[in-house]
Amino acid sequence: MSRLLAAIAATRFGMGARAGEIADATSDPRGWLDRQVRPGATVIPAGGLSSTREVFAARLDYAAMAGGPPGAGGADDEAQRARQQQVQRQAREGLAKEIEARSRHAATTPDSFAERWLRFWSNHFTVAARNAQTIGLAGPYEREAIRPHVFGKFAVLLGHAILHPGMLVYLDAVRSIGPSTQVAQRRDAGLNENLAREILELHTLGVGAGYSQDDIVEFAKALTGWTVSGTQIARLVAAGRGRRGEQGDAIEPGMVIFAEPLHEPGPRTVLGKRYGGEGKQQAAAILDALALHPATARHVAIKLARHFVSDTPPESAIAKLEAAFTKSGGDLATLARAVINLDEAWAPGQSKFKTPEELLVSAARAAGPQAAFGGAQRQVYTSLAQAPFSAPSPAGWPDDTAAWSGADAIKKRLEWANAVSQRMARNHSPLAFVEGALGDLAGEKTRQAVSRAESAEQGFTLALMAPEFQRR
Amino acid sequence: MMKLHRRSLLLAGWAATLVAVAPGVCADTGAATNRKLVIIILRGAMDGMAALPKTDDPDIHAHRGALVDAKAIALSDGFALHSAMPGLAAMYRANEAAFVPAIAGPYRERSHFAAQDLLECGEISQVSADGWLNRALLKAPAAYSAVSIGPSQPLVLRGAAVNATSWSPAVLPEASDDTLQRLLDLYENDTVLKASLSAALGADRVAGSMQADGMGGRAGPAQYVPQLVAAGKFLAQPGGPQIAVVSLEGWDTHAGQNQALQQRFTALDTGIAALKAQLGDIWKTTAVMAISEFGRTVRINGGGGTDHGTGGLAILAGGAIKGGRMLGDWPGLKSSALFEDRDLRPAVDARSMFKGLLRDQLGWASGDLDSAIFRDSAAAKAMGGLV
Repeated sequence: MSRLLAAIAATRFGMGARAGEIADATSDPRGWLDRQVRPGATVIPAGGLSSTREVFAARLDYAAMAGGPPGAGGADDEAQRARQQQVQRQAREGLAKEIEARSRHAATTPDSFAERWLRFWSNHFTVAARNAQTIGLAGPYEREAIRPHVFGKFAVLLGHAILHPGMLVYLDAVRSIGPSTQVAQRRDAGLNENLAREILELHTLGVGAGYSQDDIVEFAKALTGWTVSGTQIARLVAAGRGRRGEQGDAIEPGMVIFAEPLHEPGPRTVLGKRYGGEGKQQAAAILDALALHPATARHVAIKLARHFVSDTPPESAIAKLEAAFTKSGGDLATLARAVINLDEAWAPGQSKFKTPEELLVSAARAAGPQAAFGGAQRQVYTSLAQAPFSAPSPAGWPDDTAAWSGADAIKKRLEWANAVSQRMARNHSPLAFVEGALGDLAGEKTRQAVSRAESAEQGFTLALMAPEFQRR
Repeated sequence: MMKLHRRSLLLAGWAATLVAVAPGVCADTGAATNRKLVIIILRGAMDGMAALPKTDDPDIHAHRGALVDAKAIALSDGFALHSAMPGLAAMYRANEAAFVPAIAGPYRERSHFAAQDLLECGEISQVSADGWLNRALLKAPAAYSAVSIGPSQPLVLRGAAVNATSWSPAVLPEASDDTLQRLLDLYENDTVLKASLSAALGADRVAGSMQADGMGGRAGPAQYVPQLVAAGKFLAQPGGPQIAVVSLEGWDTHAGQNQALQQRFTALDTGIAALKAQLGDIWKTTAVMAISEFGRTVRINGGGGTDHGTGGLAILAGGAIKGGRMLGDWPGLKSSALFEDRDLRPAVDARSMFKGLLRDQLGWASGDLDSAIFRDSAAAKAMGGLV
């Protein structure tokens, strides 16, 4: 029995068993998970990766180098285009490095429950690399704003996620300007409510939690002024003072700053509560209130129960997580332990269908990253329609069977399994793979099919595509 | 071609399963109709007023300023089409395209995700697990089937009806038929995996030589044309499906809208032209409908973009469409006429258009449309005369 529980710990809570891991967890499956609930477990080495400020500094270097405005003509224009392409190429390479580092970490970390926990929160606070502005920021955002905070207070994680340049750029808050400010009047600019809406809908209360369009607008006004330092913002701020921007106005680029001239003056009312006081304090006070709101506890509990129990979790599981969130004031380490102690999550039946990323990571953990990816992480993730840092919307990746089990998705998984089985067969036996990756979760039918395969390659294709390996 | 042949042989052994799974894809349905329906979901909320500005509305310039395309192509009734869509403008003049400005589903909030789910499941407030097109297949007047293009099945086609499949191109070498056979055995008791794998094998056989067409990879405007071409190939197959669903992503233009839309409108216009070319003669009996989950704000926002709104735009095209017309009503842009003083007020219920197309293009019964397919929707009467 505890062998089966150890397999569940490693595959459903963790990101898949590495060779020998199920045996290691057998003496105390819950304790094996509990030991991973510590802040350091989710931090990955930043060697070779750029920080947010380095990404912005590189862009500024480019701007300085590029000189005059585009369209000035002739050869200069061409040189400028070439430099722009160079910057974009660097950004793409940066993203590829981020994907590799993240993927390598997931494939090798002994703390794979902590890594699953991290990915849950990273998906909850999605920042995707969707255009030239965000491509360099999605990776640093996760490492700087999410990884260090997933076992702290939810309010702290929320603050770091929202007030990071990645999120402010991704959800268009950087140029959202209080409509009655001088800047808005002079520059014919105004409010952008995207970030405020998504915080309420996705990050905190959840859709249908009773907030109104007025709440969104008021919250968006409270958020005005929070932006990212750089020459554009310096110019806007200067415009508000009725003069042209000067280089001297620009502080180090890529820092989250509060630019008072862009902030909508006056008190705000959100969810019936009035927020007066200093403009700079308004957004933080509203975020704090949202973090502890009962609807947030419920929203988070439902998502977690869906992730760890089933697509349609029982109310009993939701209620326990909701209570853990509420009683601890949104303490995420307490919440993680509540997940570990959730009896509903230890049912022997595997009801969660792996996302492509979960499938690939679990294969890499069981057979080694080289075997699972062949050194082309990004392409493989992309071919299965889940490239890291490219979630289709701020709602993040879907977490239910129907979204990932369509005919075409299964075909793509099969094509991948068929391609990697040849590499895996070089150094491993498919039966040993089944034993190491699934342990007692592997059913008789799957063991038989794998052992009767006509070749080791076919055995691996069947093992990777087996219902028990496609689920967790 | 060899490969296709081998796969057909494998399928022959699985005829019983596959006919049940995907009759329209795997077996000729006999008296095939050439009437086709292409449903394009423009995800992210297309700015209908940027696509089709009502240039004679006295308030449009005050609200939208630089968002009104100065080079828009005048059509009729004071409407003009964005200059990036000359192909659709020509279709409109040839009576092969029509527009429904100020259309929306019954949903009145502004969440993309809730709105797309409700648009696709056909419900008013509670999202259901199955889509309206899937429920429609259960009540189809003939042996219809549907295909969606892209790596995941959209909600509109999810549900109990199994004659719905999805397709996108392979990028890796294929598994052997023997491996497939063993896998199908292994999935004997796994309904999800068995149904998906069987449907995939059926879809593959039909898609034929699309592998080289360069689909795959990231979603976005670069995918619009190949996705619509793939839909055309499916529909044009002898005995092919009657309905194709294509999701085109990337319409959420909160900032820098003009540039983003120029690119997207161009891709959409080119894609519809490519679909027409792919369909050949079948274009004459095809209806294409493109719609978003909602429209965008009437007023320009702080970033040269627009925020989530309500009334949007539906584009109709195809030889079956009675085109050259603006359908529905224009509610006007006076502040007092706007929904919640910010959005275009909806004049047409999207479900009415869906029903009109299903009934008049493909023969669904009104009773089923009002109850089983779009539950409790008798008040949203089917639009007549679209085709």
